[in-house]
Amino acid sequence: MRTLVFIPAWNEQDSIAAVIADVRAEIPGADLLVVDDGSSDATSRTVRENGVLVATLPFNQGLGAALQTGYLHALRGGYDCCAHLDADGQHPAKEVARLLAEVEADRADLVIGSRYTDPDAEIGVDDYRPTLSRRIGTSVFRFFLTLATRQRFTDTTSGMRAANRKVMSLFSQHYSPDFAEIESLQLAVREGLRVQEVPVQMLERAGGSSFLTPLKSAFFIFKGVVVLLVGQFRPKRVGAER
Amino acid sequence: MSLLLAAADDANTVHLTAQTRILAAILALAFMLAILELIRRDKLQERYSVIWFVAGLGMLAGAAFPGLLELVADAMGVRDTNVALFSIVLFFLLGLALNFSVIMSRQAAQITRLAQERALEGVRDQERENGNGAAPGPAESKEEQAGRR
Repeated sequence: MRTLVFIPAWNEQDSIAAVIADVRAEIPGADLLVVDDGSSDATSRTVRENGVLVATLPFNQGLGAALQTGYLHALRGGYDCCAHLDADGQHPAKEVARLLAEVEADRADLVIGSRYTDPDAEIGVDDYRPTLSRRIGTSVFRFFLTLATRQRFTDTTSGMRAANRKVMSLFSQHYSPDFAEIESLQLAVREGLRVQEVPVQMLERAGGSSFLTPLKSAFFIFKGVVVLLVGQFRPKRVGAER
Repeated sequence: MSLLLAAADDANTVHLTAQTRILAAILALAFMLAILELIRRDKLQERYSVIWFVAGLGMLAGAAFPGLLELVADAMGVRDTNVALFSIVLFFLLGLALNFSVIMSRQAAQITRLAQERALEGVRDQERENGNGAAPGPAESKEEQAGRR
């Protein structure tokens, strides 16, 4: 069983080394790849100095394109499964290992790490306290994604995932650049893949604040709902292996 | 009252003076020449020029045969030929703008894939440099080949 762990990174020179060290310690058997999404800082150099392969996109393309690069590398490299986590240190590698275990045991094709430990709990009552606009967005996306997929999702925008080759094959061909996280879940369920959510522990952001202002949030939510709606009418694709 | 009726009647027919027609024809010809020049200087690809040529021809036809516009307006059931003209132009431009969005989306996807391929090529270079025994990954997986067939 060959495993690839890839980390999309955009201007994360300060946190990337710690994330790499964490992954190496917790998932020692896995190959590592950092996808540098056109960083203007020393992210790529830092990664190479740590002896890790880095796929440097020539310009910033957005998270979706960066993740797709990772899936493409995993597919071409002949890996049996792959996982990705955020580069800002929010995602502990030992939790990623738990997601990978689910895929390796073939209990699911795609496993999402959810920061909400109890799927029925009110958002924000446990250790994780998001802002109001984030809470609204989370609720709206939860509602519509659950409606669209008829499957319960709590953490729709989680960037901690593990996947097998079926998912690599699908995502390396079709991955929305704008709504990578949400639309990819919808797509995977529509294509008949087994998608599973696993509660995980996440850490607070090491630095920086959320990039969303209320107006931007509202627009982001509106866009997300439109994307989901349109996604419901997309023709089903015929996968290569299914 | 009769004055009003006469005025209303007046609006129903197009009164293009010879001056306007000549001006319109010159503009249409200049427009088409500009397109030719852009193609000649490699600033516009032929495949995107066809639609503009058709537009130029339409302008020329409108200038040469003003009755044509009235005919079209009648067919549309529009009393005011000016409204017909503006509606046609508006929808034409709307369709064109949509067409550009489609082309832009396709090109954005192509640029993204190009950037990804470039990045992965860089990874293969690093693998070769490291020379850790592992052969660099293939440029294409069997799933991708199967997907294209």
